This record gives sequence, C-alpha cells and structure tokens, in this order.
Amino acid sequence: MRVAAGNRWLPAAAVTVGLVALFALPQVTGNEYVLALGASFAAMSVLSGGLNLVYGYTGLLSFAQVGFFGIGGYAAALLVTEQDWPFWAAIAAAGISAALVGLLIGYSSLRLSRHAFAIVSLSFALLCMIVARDWVELTRGSMGIPGLPTPTVNLPGGWRWRVVQPADFYYLLMGFAVIAHALIYLVVTSRLGRAMRAIKLNEALAQSQGINPLSYKLLAIALSALLAGIVGGLFVFYLTIVDPSIFDFYYTETTLIMVILGGPGSFWGVLASSAVLTVVPDMLRFTTDLRMVLYGVVLIVAMIVFPGGFGGWLQRRRIARWRRPRAPAPSVAP
Amino acid sequence: MTTLLKVHGLTKHYFGLTAVDNVSYEVEAGTIVGLIGPNGSGKSTSIDCISGFQRVDAGSWSLDGRNLTGLPPHRIARAGLTRSFQTVRAYDELTLLENLCVAAQENDGIGWLKALLHGKALRRADAVAEARARDLLAVVGLIDYAEAPAAILSYGQRKLLAIAATMMSRPRLVVLDEPVAGVNPTMVKRIETVIRKLNAEGVTFLIVEHNVDFIMSLCSRVIVLEAGAKIADGPPSLIRSDPRVLAAYLGQTRAAELDTAGG
Repeated sequence: MRVAAGNRWLPAAAVTVGLVALFALPQVTGNEYVLALGASFAAMSVLSGGLNLVYGYTGLLSFAQVGFFGIGGYAAALLVTEQDWPFWAAIAAAGISAALVGLLIGYSSLRLSRHAFAIVSLSFALLCMIVARDWVELTRGSMGIPGLPTPTVNLPGGWRWRVVQPADFYYLLMGFAVIAHALIYLVVTSRLGRAMRAIKLNEALAQSQGINPLSYKLLAIALSALLAGIVGGLFVFYLTIVDPSIFDFYYTETTLIMVILGGPGSFWGVLASSAVLTVVPDMLRFTTDLRMVLYGVVLIVAMIVFPGGFGGWLQRRRIARWRRPRAPAPSVAP
Repeated sequence: MTTLLKVHGLTKHYFGLTAVDNVSYEVEAGTIVGLIGPNGSGKSTSIDCISGFQRVDAGSWSLDGRNLTGLPPHRIARAGLTRSFQTVRAYDELTLLENLCVAAQENDGIGWLKALLHGKALRRADAVAEARARDLLAVVGLIDYAEAPAAILSYGQRKLLAIAATMMSRPRLVVLDEPVAGVNPTMVKRIETVIRKLNAEGVTFLIVEHNVDFIMSLCSRVIVLEAGAKIADGPPSLIRSDPRVLAAYLGQTRAAELDTAGG
C-alpha cells in the first residue's frame, strides 16, 4: 500500500487492468461455470474483506459475518416477496438491518472485552440459524423462501435492467464487490484504518493517545455488516432461494481461512487469497473423495510456509530488511 | 507560577488493600516534578488513576482548571494529559512516523468523513503532524528510522519513541512512567537531555521513576509516596535529607544511623 513516489502508477495500472479483465470476462466466455465461479468469488471476497476490516485491522475475532450475510438475504427476500418492495430498496434495507444488528451485538459485548465479542459473535451466528429454522411464521422454516423473482433494476434514463442471465448476476455481484472493496480500501488506507491498526496492536497505548477504541470497533463492525448484508441480499436472488443453510458454518470457515492465509490486515493479501481459495477447491473437483482432504493439505502447507499469512510474510521481510546491518541509514522509504 | 495539575484526595483500594491513600498534590506549569517511592508505594497506581486507566474510589483532579475526574483515558488524553507506560508500548507493525502521527490524529479536529474524503483540511493537518513527527524523531535521535517499522527498535529506542509519542498532540502535561527503568547509562543521559529540551519548549512533566539520581538531577520538585500516602513534597535538596524519606527507603535503623553519623 505504501509505494515510492515514482512507482505510484504501477499499482494503479495493475488495478485498472484487473478491473477491465473482470468486466470483460462475460464478453469473452459465456461459460456458466466460469461466471458462477466469478459470482461466488465476488460474494465471498466481500465477506472476507469485511472480516479483514474487523479482525485483520481492528483485531476483533468475529464469527458474525455469516449472520449478517444471512440476515441481509432474508431481509431482502422477505421485503420483495411479502412487502412488494422494489429490489434496490430491499437490498438497501438488507444492508442497513445487518449493520444495525452488528452495532447492537458490538455495543453490548465490546463493553466487556474483545473475547466477549468473539463469543457473542459465535453465539449470534448459531442463533441466526436456529431462528431461521424455527420461526416458521416469519422465515417459513427449513423450506426457506424459494422461487425469488427476477430482480429488475431501474437505471437512470428510463432503462430497466432485468437481471436474468448468469452474466447479469456476474455483473451485479462483481459490480457491488468492486464498490465494497473500494470502500474498504478507502477506510483502511485512511487515518481511520491507521487508528484501527493502532487499536489492534496496542489498545491501551491508543487510548492514551486520545483514540476511543469502541467507536472505531463499532465503525468496523457496522461497515462489514452493511457490506455483508447487501451481498447477502444480492446473493439470494442469484440463488433464487433463501433457506437456513445461508447461515452455514461453511461460510464462516471459508472467510476465516481467506483472511488468515491472505494475512490479517493486508488488503491485497486477503483479496488475492479470496480469489485463490475460490478457485482451488473447484480445481480439486477432479477427485470428489479426496477433495476436502487435499484442500486441508493445501491449507496446512500454506500455514507452515506463511504462518502470518501472505501479508505477514511481506511484513517480516520488511522488518528483516531494516535489521540487516548497513553502512548509511536509508533516507527514503523502501 | 500557575498550577496546571491539581490532585485532591486521590484514593484507590484494591479489595482490602489501600494502594493510594488520600493523596493530594499540585504540579505547576512548566516544571518537571518527580514522583518517587519504594516498591508498592502507589506511584504507578496513582498515575494510572489520573490518566483514567484505573477507576478511583475517592478524590478528584483537574488540569488547568478543567475537572478530569472519572473521564475515560481517551478523553483525558484529548484534554491535554498524555502518558507513557512502564512496560514500554509501541505499534510494532507501524513505522515510526505512523507511530507518532496516529498519536496526534484525534486532536486536530478532522472528523471521520473528512478523513475519508481526503480534502484540503486533512492534507494540511497530516502535513503538520508529519512535520512535528519528524522534528520529534530528530530530537530523540531516531530520524534515520522514520520509515522503519517500530519492531526493529531496541528497548531504549522504544522508550525514546514512546516519549516522542506523548508529545505529538502538544499536551499540557506529560506523565512518564519509569522512562529510564532498564535502560543503559548512555541512553539514560540521552533521555534526560530529551526531557530537558522538551521542557524548555514549555512541556510540563510528571515523572515516576525508581532511579533516584535521575529524578534528583532532573526535577525541581519531588513528591515521595510510601504505602500509598504522601510523606514528602519539596525540592530535591530537602527530600534528600528528609528523615521520613530516608526511613522509607533505607529502613528506620539505617536512617537513624545515618542521622547520628551526619549530625
């Protein structure tokens, strides 16, 4: 993220090329499998990016992301099917309701300790699944809400975009993922992100410098919940169904692995690992029986080679470079 | 001289034990005041209290007439009372510049929205903070490592960085908790020079320290605590010969011996 002045154009160019490639993909291939993988990457990367903000930057271990994701999914689905809300309004409400729930569990547990938050977030995620399964009048129980209608988006200038084709959903999810990551990037590279890292690295020191840890923690949680809620809302319309399995522990596990392998607190590291870990399990599909075993082996090897994740490895290299004996002290950034 | 810090009747109990017992003192603006006492005399607890890290059971304190009693640490810091820690703290993964700039960001009036929009006000505030950070790094002799992560620093260097960090927000009063404990003699001299230099620029210091020589040479006034209570308060020359202080540090018998030998 910190680059010498002369190199500034290089990451910008790389990002531009990457974005063009992502948005050109459906034009190049109509392959539904590739597009589904892309849509799944978009959704998972928003969850892992939000978790990185909360865990990687602010130091709060959270299992609640999947809860926000599912709350967003249910809220959007119910508002569209039961209340006839317009698609966009339902998506916005999905994000906002997830963020409010996030603030509630954050405010109530963080006054105790960050460990309390971890436990409360875990209980919250498990509770969500139970509520979705057992509050039948609201959620229709384990049958879920199938047959969600095709979303119609009113674009400026009287255009109506019916999101039907896999490519349409690819654009919808990928478009939102780009916005979400841009927002996360804006936060983590600003002084807000710096304060969050300070809180993670040494909370008492941060307090002694006038930083109010609670407000930054709540900001991180609310933002990650907002993004997870919105992506949950979009994702259920892509699946055309929402049922209690949206709260599956699988999502928690996968996003945690993405953040840990990418390097907690490393924006690009987590984004890259989200892409790799979306593709790798699918590449292992050639052997159904051994698939998860091989996946486990990949993870174990990765943890041995990069104990702090990819981002942690870069950080250790940076420290080692400064520790190396050298004659004159360098006056410019490495 | 005007009184900057006014502490009145500070009391802190841990279960049955009284760690700080009805301690009152004042610190005048522009001075360096030492707070000494044997182990367990309540020095660290009393500054943990006035910086908001411990709840007090009784007492009040104010900075420049503003009541700070019971405020959380970040509010006390914003009011102009910053502190360092006995177990030296730094943000290892952040560069020295970041370590310092983060310490000033809550005091320059830039809100969250402005911080995200990268406007002119933010750039100006950031430039001011970076210039101050570089000045302070030059003062403490760490400017060559401005862009390096704090993890590479030695113990003594971390103490210097911590002192610099307490200065970033231009506080009225800086409380240093054992700034030279476990530091080699050369570094002690350097820390002493740094404190004198910053004091000459108008910063008031309250220093807790076990190193009595360090305190005696640096401070214009010394407060002595024993078993949670204040037993002496005055210039170093008087403190050195105060019988209660000698008794507290050396034990009654030895103090009496010295007294007879001297008198």
